[in-house]
Amino acid sequence: MNVWLNRFRTYDWRNMWPKVVAAVPVIIFLLIPVFTQGEIVLNMLILSGIWAVAAMGFTLILRTGQFSLGQAAFMAIGGYTCAILTVVLGWPWWWGFLLSGIVSGLIAMLIGSVVLRVGGIYFSIITLSLTEVIRIIAQQWESVTHGSRGLITTPPPNIDLGPLHINFMANSVPFYYLTLILVAVTGLVFWQIGKTRMGGTFYAMLANQTLAEHEGIHLMRYRVIAFTLAGVFAGFAGAIYANYLTVISPLIFGLWQSIQIMMMSIVGGMSSLVAGPIIGSTVLYILGIQLSRLPIYGISQLLYGAVVVLVLIFLPKGTGLIDLWPRIWRKIYREVEDYEIPGETRQED
Amino acid sequence: MPPAGIWIDGLVQSSTYITMAFGMVLVFSILGILNWTHGQYYMIGAVIVYYGVTAAGVPFPFSMLVVGLIIAGLGMLVKKVIIDRVSGDLYVGAVTLALIFFFEGLASMLFGMQDKGLANVLPGSLDLGTFSVSYQKIAVVGFTLVVLIAMYIVLNRTKIGLSIRAVAQEPRAASLYGVRVERVSLLVMGIGCMLAAWAGCIMAPVYAINPFIGRMPMIFSLLAIVIGGLGSLSGAIIGGLILGFLNSVMTYYISYYSEVVLFVLVIILLLVRPQGLFGAALK
Repeated sequence: MNVWLNRFRTYDWRNMWPKVVAAVPVIIFLLIPVFTQGEIVLNMLILSGIWAVAAMGFTLILRTGQFSLGQAAFMAIGGYTCAILTVVLGWPWWWGFLLSGIVSGLIAMLIGSVVLRVGGIYFSIITLSLTEVIRIIAQQWESVTHGSRGLITTPPPNIDLGPLHINFMANSVPFYYLTLILVAVTGLVFWQIGKTRMGGTFYAMLANQTLAEHEGIHLMRYRVIAFTLAGVFAGFAGAIYANYLTVISPLIFGLWQSIQIMMMSIVGGMSSLVAGPIIGSTVLYILGIQLSRLPIYGISQLLYGAVVVLVLIFLPKGTGLIDLWPRIWRKIYREVEDYEIPGETRQED
Repeated sequence: MPPAGIWIDGLVQSSTYITMAFGMVLVFSILGILNWTHGQYYMIGAVIVYYGVTAAGVPFPFSMLVVGLIIAGLGMLVKKVIIDRVSGDLYVGAVTLALIFFFEGLASMLFGMQDKGLANVLPGSLDLGTFSVSYQKIAVVGFTLVVLIAMYIVLNRTKIGLSIRAVAQEPRAASLYGVRVERVSLLVMGIGCMLAAWAGCIMAPVYAINPFIGRMPMIFSLLAIVIGGLGSLSGAIIGGLILGFLNSVMTYYISYYSEVVLFVLVIILLLVRPQGLFGAALK
């Protein structure tokens, strides 16, 4: 008890404010269906959550120094696995959902253990080709995927929890919470990875691959681990995406979705495995939606590209929107010289 | 054995890929970046030449020349204003990928979504007994040959070419010998974009024009570069030839799946020989 009291007394309360402020959006996200059940808001948040999961995977791969343009391919694999298992083979929905992540992760591991041998720019080109291959297969394998017309998914079954009846068909709230759970699980897993030794290893690989290899880090193993994890969660995200849209067609997972995921991750900031991609995908997805309301066709794409270019030009190298966070707190606590800002690594001169 | 028309189509496709891939490799070997926007310069070239011929009534060869210069200027502007301000391979890649959206949005705003065709600039066809070849396709192949020979002369016989090769080999040493590296890389960016625009121009009468035609040629010229080896100019030419003929012939037998087979072949090639068929000759 005394220890706790002591810790309470010596605790620097300035450390708490950033955490409190960061907790506010989390609570708001949890309570949004209480305030509004409007489909527009929920739709926006669900889809940005789905892209956030994929973007987190991209950031994890980026941490190992690789630049994957294949995240949308794994979303497609997950989505199609879930749809084919439940619609064509008639499996229970939750089994289909569970297997979507597992299958996508297995394929990522298989492909990764072959393809990651050639790193760098070749890896980007191969993952890009992979996205196209998956899209063409989905388009041409008419008997299973129904080609360009798309496969209509079966909705998740109703759940009865005593007084609580969860009906996925009634409105978007169950899907909202399902997405929120997926984002939270992905976030927790990646956050923990970032804190462990493995996260440090990833960071070492990003900083200097040659040095990392000479330090005895088995580059290949960690690359495959990152690629597989990203594949698993992208698969789950793809399954939710397909079920939320109620139809899965080859057009919704292409190279352009992969590029968007990449831009979300980079604009959000890669210094953080969790918060950066979430901020990036929410901001960019909502921006894209708002821009597409503009009456002139094509102006949304133009402004979207322009905004991303401007962010990349005006934020200094290696930083995204998330890196504004410690800067804000540094401004606030400016008067204290040696105050260590949470979330910011101090540089020794 | 596929009919002769398939082989000619393969040659026409190869010509596009070669012209595109050549510019891409040139830019990569000097600037050290992969310009993902290359396909969009192809598209803008086709769009501008469409307006030049139909709206302004400028003769096709002349408008092609002008379009090449315009796109070269655009590429230099993009390099100067955007790419130079962003540092790090990753961020340069991201910026050029974002520019794809920008240019496609711009084109669909101004040009519209629907397919437009340029009336045959060179009507008629050459009758060769069992089959015939349209003059337009002959022009595509002939133009590619002329461009390649011109590039060969520029790179190997002129002072500018010498400085380009010097910068590609060792930028720091080249700058010590009085080569203005900054100016050379700007020039190379211009040449690369000009080649992409010319590929778009010369293909404009053959295929339909819309704001999204740049995507597939970009992906295919990337694959051609990978086959030939990143950074090798002759590799880009041979990679383009292999890819064009393979795609054309396999499309004849297995239709849409030919692209899947091509991608898988490229992946296998990379695993067996990561540096491509011709290694990295320049870098």
